[in-house]
Amino acid sequence: MREEAVLFGEMESLIGIVTDPVRRDGNHLAPAAILLNPGIVHRVAPGRIYVKISRALAAAGFVVLRFDFSGIGDSAARHDSLPFEQSAVREAQEAMDFLKATRGIEHFILLGGCSGAAIALETTCCDPRVIGGVLINFPIAEDEGGNTNPELIQRRAFHYYRNFALANLKSWCRLLTGQSDYRHLIRVLGFQAKRRFASGRKRSSEATRFEANLRRLAGRSIQLTFLCSQGDLHVDDLREAGGNELEHLCALGRVTLKVILQSDHTFSSLYDQERLLQVILEQLDSITPTHGNAAYIPEGPATPRPKSDPIYR
Amino acid sequence: MRPPGRPLPFYFGPSDKPLFGCYHKARTEDSRKCAVVICQPVGHEYINCHRALRQLAARLSEAGFPVLRFDYYGCGDSSGNAEEVRISQWLEDISTAISEARSRTGLVPVCLVGLRLGGALAMMASSQRGDIESLILWDPVVDGKSYLDGLLSLQKELLRFRPKPRGGYKSPAYLDIVGFPLPHCLYTELEMLNLLTLTERPAKNLLFIQSEPATGEKALRDHLSQTKARLEYQRLEIPQIWLPTEDGSLLVPSEALKSVVSWASRRYS
Repeated sequence: MREEAVLFGEMESLIGIVTDPVRRDGNHLAPAAILLNPGIVHRVAPGRIYVKISRALAAAGFVVLRFDFSGIGDSAARHDSLPFEQSAVREAQEAMDFLKATRGIEHFILLGGCSGAAIALETTCCDPRVIGGVLINFPIAEDEGGNTNPELIQRRAFHYYRNFALANLKSWCRLLTGQSDYRHLIRVLGFQAKRRFASGRKRSSEATRFEANLRRLAGRSIQLTFLCSQGDLHVDDLREAGGNELEHLCALGRVTLKVILQSDHTFSSLYDQERLLQVILEQLDSITPTHGNAAYIPEGPATPRPKSDPIYR
Repeated sequence: MRPPGRPLPFYFGPSDKPLFGCYHKARTEDSRKCAVVICQPVGHEYINCHRALRQLAARLSEAGFPVLRFDYYGCGDSSGNAEEVRISQWLEDISTAISEARSRTGLVPVCLVGLRLGGALAMMASSQRGDIESLILWDPVVDGKSYLDGLLSLQKELLRFRPKPRGGYKSPAYLDIVGFPLPHCLYTELEMLNLLTLTERPAKNLLFIQSEPATGEKALRDHLSQTKARLEYQRLEIPQIWLPTEDGSLLVPSEALKSVVSWASRRYS
């Protein structure tokens, strides 16, 4: 494995690290993996997880590039007025151009956490060179307002009750011995019921866009994996926003939805990170089962997956 | 030719343990006669402080200083795993970075800027070497035991608000601190870290920036004022940028950055 610091992009202003495997067996048709910034954190990522992912994938035979979008980490800010959603997609494409020019690679798998996952999906939709992606804690909508946003507070509370308190003996003891805040509990459940069943509820623009993007991908031979932390609020939004389209793609085997139990948004324990790494390696292996041994053939039917597959929860 | 102000990323140092660095060339025609080497914190503090230290490097380069930021072995983009790190290795890395900065700039005078554990390491390296002209300590870790207590309570606090990792996952070789391994050997070394035991004068010029009164910092101030160094102490009302906060991390405390640039500019006018 060899790591190289690189500069690329229109203005040579994007900074990244390419991790080359020891041997590529001269297979220039094998795809490379590109890691996209998780939010505004630089390319090392919380827990140094992007470095670990890069090295693990390089050990498995992939060329890997982790880099900073303009204005994030070490990369210089842009001098045009392109919005981030557009500049980031363009820069992800520049990363692909760079690997094509320097390593002759023509197909790519994008990986990204949080907003990096959103950029990965947008790039996948508009660039046929992308043949797969691992989208970690995909954000359906921005959590604007943080702790002052009443809707977000209620959603967080519901998420906690459903995913953690429900399976927690202490929580049940508190509920049955009158130590719980019943008023709060009822308020949260009422809020969720209203949110789910209110007639004529308007879908957010992000949810509509997400579903449209999935539709665009349905006609392409692509493998996407949505990886969600159990502790992440967006896992429910993802299922809700993806709706039938997501379910359909899961059934076709084009999309996999995996929940990593007991983990949080940033995989802030070493145990979470080990499991994340393991799942990523499995997913990349399923996207490119022959990458280390023979020429990769990107087109071809995906293996249909039954709806009852436990992966789709 | 790189446009001015843009950092140049590269690997340097021994080929079996290459270190990642970003070199910020001095932006003005007349480069000041001192190279700056930035010693970053480690673990989650490194992640949280990266943005501020990148901005600091940019501002120093704007003011005419050539600056080298780098990652220690087993940290950031440098080679190695966090499970293998030792204080002696990091001190060696600082020396490697100083040599690199000198050879890139052709300048002998060096100013080390260290934040948190980076501050402690910078002071230890300076005291050992005796050839560092200026030293800027920004909320340095003075006492290793208090630092470790802080890390352990942060980890405990984190576990209160996230799902507990399953199966009592614990490695016999290291502790898990916010997703970064803290090897037991390093833990023992950190327990023994105490800047007050350093007797050598670390540098001719010293700036000590403190954002909040913490264990040992008053003692360090007194300790430093007894050396023959020209010491300036600044107490600033700035956030503790190395800590994760409710409102997010990656804060850039402009006042501290201004303070460092202004002090260094006065020393090397």
